[in-house]
Amino acid sequence: MPGRNIREVKVQNSKINRRKFLSTVAAGGACTFMGPWSHNRVYAQSTAKPIVIGTTTDASGQYANSGSSERRGILMAIAEVNARGGVLGRRVTSVHVDTETTPATGSRVAERMIQQEKCGFLLGGVHSGVANAISQVAQKYGVVYFNTNSSSPTEAGQNCHRVKFVWDGNGTNFAKAAIKNSINAFGGKFVLLTNDYVWGHDTARTTKKQIAEFGGQVLEEILIPQGTRDFTAALIKIQQLKPSIVAAAIGGDDQKAMRQQVAQLGMSRSPVWINNQQDWPDVYGLPAENLFGIFGTNWYHELTLPGVKEFVNKYKAMYSNEVIKVPGNVFYNGYMAARELFAAIERAGSTNNIAIIKALEGHAMKAADRMQHFDAYIDANTHHVQQTIYLATANARPKDKDDLFSILAQAAPKDVIDTDAPQACKLESYAATPTFDA
Amino acid sequence: MYAILPHLINGITLGLLFALIALGFTLIVGVMEVINLAHGSLFALGAYFAMTIISGGAFGSTELGQWWLNFPISTRYVAAAVIGPALAGLVGMLIEICLRPTYGKASLYGLLLTFGAAVVLEESIRIFWGAGEQSLRTPAAISGAILIGGMIFSIYKVYAAAFAIAAIVGVWLFLEKTPYGAIIKAGAHDSEMVRALGYDLSKLRLFVFGFGAALAGLAGIAMAPIWGLRPHVGLDVVIPAFLIIVIGGVGSFWGAILASLLVGLSIGLTGAFLPAWSMVSMYLLLILIVGFRARGLFGRKSALEN
Amino acid sequence: MMTLSDIPPKGGSPLTLPMAALVLLLLATPFLVARLGLYHYLAIEIAIWIIFATGFNLLFGYTGLHSFGHGAYLGIGAYGFGLFQHKFGLGLWSGLGAGILAAALAGGFVGLFLSHRRGIYFALLSIAFGQVFWFSAIKLHRITGGEDGLLGIPRPPLTLGSWQISLADNMNFYWFVATLTVLVVVFLWRLVNSPFGRVLQAIRQNQMRARFVGYDVWRWKWLAFTGSAAMAGLAGGLLAMAQHSAYPDVMSLHHSGLVVMMVLIGGGLVNFWGPILGVLLYFLVREVLGGLTETWLLWFGLMFITMVIIKPEGVAGLLGQRAASKAPTVHKASAGSAP
Repeated sequence: MPGRNIREVKVQNSKINRRKFLSTVAAGGACTFMGPWSHNRVYAQSTAKPIVIGTTTDASGQYANSGSSERRGILMAIAEVNARGGVLGRRVTSVHVDTETTPATGSRVAERMIQQEKCGFLLGGVHSGVANAISQVAQKYGVVYFNTNSSSPTEAGQNCHRVKFVWDGNGTNFAKAAIKNSINAFGGKFVLLTNDYVWGHDTARTTKKQIAEFGGQVLEEILIPQGTRDFTAALIKIQQLKPSIVAAAIGGDDQKAMRQQVAQLGMSRSPVWINNQQDWPDVYGLPAENLFGIFGTNWYHELTLPGVKEFVNKYKAMYSNEVIKVPGNVFYNGYMAARELFAAIERAGSTNNIAIIKALEGHAMKAADRMQHFDAYIDANTHHVQQTIYLATANARPKDKDDLFSILAQAAPKDVIDTDAPQACKLESYAATPTFDA
Repeated sequence: MYAILPHLINGITLGLLFALIALGFTLIVGVMEVINLAHGSLFALGAYFAMTIISGGAFGSTELGQWWLNFPISTRYVAAAVIGPALAGLVGMLIEICLRPTYGKASLYGLLLTFGAAVVLEESIRIFWGAGEQSLRTPAAISGAILIGGMIFSIYKVYAAAFAIAAIVGVWLFLEKTPYGAIIKAGAHDSEMVRALGYDLSKLRLFVFGFGAALAGLAGIAMAPIWGLRPHVGLDVVIPAFLIIVIGGVGSFWGAILASLLVGLSIGLTGAFLPAWSMVSMYLLLILIVGFRARGLFGRKSALEN
Repeated sequence: MMTLSDIPPKGGSPLTLPMAALVLLLLATPFLVARLGLYHYLAIEIAIWIIFATGFNLLFGYTGLHSFGHGAYLGIGAYGFGLFQHKFGLGLWSGLGAGILAAALAGGFVGLFLSHRRGIYFALLSIAFGQVFWFSAIKLHRITGGEDGLLGIPRPPLTLGSWQISLADNMNFYWFVATLTVLVVVFLWRLVNSPFGRVLQAIRQNQMRARFVGYDVWRWKWLAFTGSAAMAGLAGGLLAMAQHSAYPDVMSLHHSGLVVMMVLIGGGLVNFWGPILGVLLYFLVREVLGGLTETWLLWFGLMFITMVIIKPEGVAGLLGQRAASKAPTVHKASAGSAP
């Protein structure tokens, strides 16, 4: 460059050389540093390749709490199976990346887990959009995906996939469990509070069908947009309409605000509230008066069934530092899904995805094994786990501060099955699903 | 007609609560001409501090904690309502110190910095208090519901609305009847002159930002029993606050109050008649008003326009 | 100090060092990716966001209009592409065209409201419209699929003469996206170095002066807004192909704020290449930190704050400063005041 003297240029060159050298070293160092992330690597004595589970759970965003809970369930199942010698003699390891309650992140995480982390199976999901994003990627590669905690009826309906299995009860199951008995007990005049998005509408649709079938009447359906923080207008209308029952399909943060305000107004006893499914992490720690109405769950830690106490003690031993002191339905679903995956692999005798899928479809699970009242099974047409649905309410006489629920009734799977799902669900054929071996 | 009355009352109550929420934001925007996007996180922080003070938090099991928990909840609540906002104010002052390099530059930098602060504060809340839903206990005297003319009304909301009115009047008095408001307003436009006149502008700015942050925290404490408490509760605050000052007009105190009432009424009334549109109605209100009056209802020319 | 107004005297020749570096980087990425322990999908996402961010900077950095609601156009582009595939049939270019058109129409419509404004009013109105679009995407769930997303969006094959190349494989799709990225970046480089670009800069520096000089400021602002929305639409269409789906989430304020953060950290306010650096930094930091800790956003936020305080000119500004410190003492006359 003109205007520079030679001495400057010489110094310049050596500066560049030194800088280049340093930056190359840094880049090289970074390259060796960059590698697989969050691996729980357990180096086994055997040289068998481990089975890698990808936990596609939320650690931030609206469902962070539930996401952490289901992940703990999956990890406990993994620890148990490793203590017994692994699956098909192979140890199980896991990888976790936060799906951030965001579908675009779900796509990215699924791609990363399959392409980079070489995961053989994906487990986890609460938000239906995230679960859909993950399942599309999973179906593309043929990787088996367990949707552990999404309660949207579309998961096993129009958004079903050959590689995807749904482990939670959904809004339709619950509405079927609740409505008929409620009409008999409390009267048939309903007001519906419906969250104005897909899950809310699907749940409300079943509720309305049930109401019509069992002789009830819908006085009004009030739509609640997502993000509503003030329910006063809706509560005023409810007071003016005087229904016997309010069927609320309200989820997420909207539901938390609603519970707060209904409790404050003292409207929790009259009319009767039916609140759809409650996830344990969402209600744990709330004041007792916020937990009003009748709601649903698929498991509770104080069920008087064999195996429950041992299960709770195992949780307390492994997770004594957690804020949530006892396991709930979200943890349970994560645990059960992982455990059944390992059992299916053993039954199939291989980690070939089609073999495992066939070992899962139609598979029956004993009630005693699942610590529920009724036998469960994996529906071959929709890949939805049909299981016991419990109706509960707040416990007026709790044994301790964790005994929040009082179980009112339990419904058998055949009584609450979603009859619309098989028509809506079009599973891809085995031929159309790429083979994949974990 | 009778049926609409509770909805009107609800709309106005909502408006007053929104005014309380937007108060600290309005103060900082109107007087320092900085958009504080961390307002929502400071709102949440105030409520979390208050919750820990009332419940004793991690110290609950110590001797000091036990002594504290022996006090009736009303005492603890009052203490929390004073200390919580004060702590939020301190955090606000910290943010103001970080903002100093951006004064004099385009207003975008201040906005972005407060956006970053909002992210950091929200994550810190999640790390420290956890991601789960918490609740803020209130004394029995201001809780519960009363029956008027066959309709149930929330006692707490009445107190919160009354408190909002008191806070609005108090802040207005501060801005108009004390010299501080005028000095800082002048400082936003011509800091050299103000300093030349002998005022310690940086101390005043620090105080105002802290005061605005404290007001945010106070609003958080007031709203927590209604909205619930979670780390991302601040997100529900920032956009309405931002909307309100623009509808009311940047730089106008009473514009913001009027805008708050309009937003409250629009949410309350659409909630009655077109519930599915209640949340989006405030955006449509904004587009409508700013479409006709470019500077909002009572807006004045402001440095923020550039 | 470096500014966007440092337009080279010879105008918009794309044969510059940074452009060559970008092309080399894009060419080398698939091979680097395996070495660094990353994955192809990440490279695809980075390329898509480069298109989005560079197009966005046309509005944000060059015209000085701070839109905080641009995620809406990314989302609309994705829905446009997806709905075209579902309703009208498979088509790569027609689908992308539909995405671009949909986003441009939305941007054009919003631009009618926004182009009169500046500063805080512009910012807030952009947020308001972004939220309205997000709300519509959730509410019109019979069309968009709502929070479940618009699913099953295919990747139509690329037809070159008599060859048909399937884009189903991530590698092939990456090459397609990377080629488009280079074309878009070259196009934008020519655009900002053209008279059009100079007018936009003039508007940013002093809107009143630009009007007095005779430019119809409103029309130029509208064009910048619509153009950047169209770019976002292209990025959105590609995103829909990458994910095989479209979701309302990108339209939220949180995601619109992310692209602003990326552009600022990268130095989009002072340099054309800033947004690209910002995108790279964000994605790499996210992958590295996200693997180490769940609180990576906290550290990214702190980094962001530090950057704003110490060096609002961003990474590009940092690099530019080091380059400037080596430059000869003959000082280039800068075309205007610093932003």
